[in-house]
Amino acid sequence: MKTVKTQTVALLFLIGLTFLQPVALRAEETVPIPNASAQAQMQPANDAPATPGSLSEKSSPPTSVDTSVTTSVDHQKPVQEQEPKASGEAATGETLTPAAQEVVENSDVAVDEGSSIADPFAPTNKLMFEINDRLYFWVLKPVTKAYVHIPEDFRIIFSSVYDNLKAPARMLNNLMQLRMERAGNELVRFLINSVVGIGGIGDIARDSFGIKKQDADFGQTLGHYGIDHGFYIVLPLLGPSSLRDGIGRVGDYFMHPLTYVPHEDLSWQASLGILAHEYVNDASFRIGDYESFKESAIDPYIAMRDAFVQNRKKIVEESRH
Amino acid sequence: MSIQKLMIRKGFAIVLSIIICLVVSVPAHAGLPLDTVKAYSDKVLEVLRDPSLKGESTKKVRKERLRTISEKMFDFTELSKRTLAQNWSKFNPGQQQEFVTLYTSLLEDAYSDKILSYTNEKIVFSKEVALTEKTVEVQSTVVRKTTEIPIYYRVILKDGAWRVYDVVVEGVSLTNNYRSQFREILANKQPESLLETLRKKVGGAGHSSGPASEPSQKKP
Repeated sequence: MKTVKTQTVALLFLIGLTFLQPVALRAEETVPIPNASAQAQMQPANDAPATPGSLSEKSSPPTSVDTSVTTSVDHQKPVQEQEPKASGEAATGETLTPAAQEVVENSDVAVDEGSSIADPFAPTNKLMFEINDRLYFWVLKPVTKAYVHIPEDFRIIFSSVYDNLKAPARMLNNLMQLRMERAGNELVRFLINSVVGIGGIGDIARDSFGIKKQDADFGQTLGHYGIDHGFYIVLPLLGPSSLRDGIGRVGDYFMHPLTYVPHEDLSWQASLGILAHEYVNDASFRIGDYESFKESAIDPYIAMRDAFVQNRKKIVEESRH
Repeated sequence: MSIQKLMIRKGFAIVLSIIICLVVSVPAHAGLPLDTVKAYSDKVLEVLRDPSLKGESTKKVRKERLRTISEKMFDFTELSKRTLAQNWSKFNPGQQQEFVTLYTSLLEDAYSDKILSYTNEKIVFSKEVALTEKTVEVQSTVVRKTTEIPIYYRVILKDGAWRVYDVVVEGVSLTNNYRSQFREILANKQPESLLETLRKKVGGAGHSSGPASEPSQKKP
């Protein structure tokens, strides 16, 4: 039980950090600009010109493509009197004339097919997006590029083992969504792959028995029962999420078998190592995806947020069929 | 009793099939949407798997071939209109035309590298779902080693041919995604400003082939 506690504390701390940060930041901002808090609550509106700004400000000299784009946009942005802000970079996102904001709001309502999300913590989210971006290029990508030298067959085995460990969570979530057949499939898969597949080193249930994986997660389960995103949040390393899906992650964590392995058998360092390996192993199949996403985007922050909302919407809708 | 029921059902089925024939007969000569998309997809795979086009040196040739296919496969004007939605009318005809050209280049630049990196993936076309009278969603799945990615092509019937006006990958619609980005720009800027942004993006992207276009340049 001790293990569970330490791991939980660490996890909650991480999540708490991301939640608290924006709150603290907003508290600072409300002091200098009386309007700021009201603006901050008006979701995507306040990040119209903000992303280009925050992007260009933080990218260093030789960035050829994006800097030129973003700065050109930047010059035309209505520059407001900047009050001295304690929160530095992140706070620059908050400047927008009320008039411009109205326009954004109106067009928001007019067009969309429901793929919008409240983003009251846009400045911190953008900062976290930038941090994740740097982490990708500076840490994850070099590490993964070295890791890729491990033959693909081995990497697929690792991937299957990790995936098999998530079967209980998939089963329970399918069960909670009352999708009994899918839940049954996952139960059978877990048994077959764990026993015949020796801890899931291959997807025998799929390859020999034709029983396919039935994805389900706790964020989806919450959505299934009508719980909305709440607001958008960019998690460190894990990327786009929301209040609902963040809670979903915690829920899924408690449905993961490794959570219940006693501390004596698996130290938290080892757990973290496993997590890191899973992360890199997963990434090794997706090298280049993030680059092409970024190359295709005009505003990567908004593109990512929108993709997240659209993707999760589909996943929740599918659970209702 | 049961025979009577059966007869009624049979009659109903016949009537229904006649109605379906009447309704469907218009696009029938254009070929089925699924077959159309699949044919294009096969052509792309042909380029990717052509043994005479292996290696870095032929990358330009392959990209050119992809472009030729995509120009037939996609209705870029329709795609542009749907992306800009009500903002489309804010553009004058000249600007609209330029937007289509730039947006097309942006998409081709961004995705051709990605597509060229695919070789072993299997593509399964599963079904087509009618969206409106003239639009259909063709559903496919790309089977990668560790995952399956659902890719849906939305096609529109125009001048007797089905052409793609939106691609939906794992629930993420391409046009919706760009709409959300362009909307932010057009909310407080003129169309010209968006065109300028696109010009720079397209012009700049042309110089950097490969992943070294962004912060990755800052290698130690």
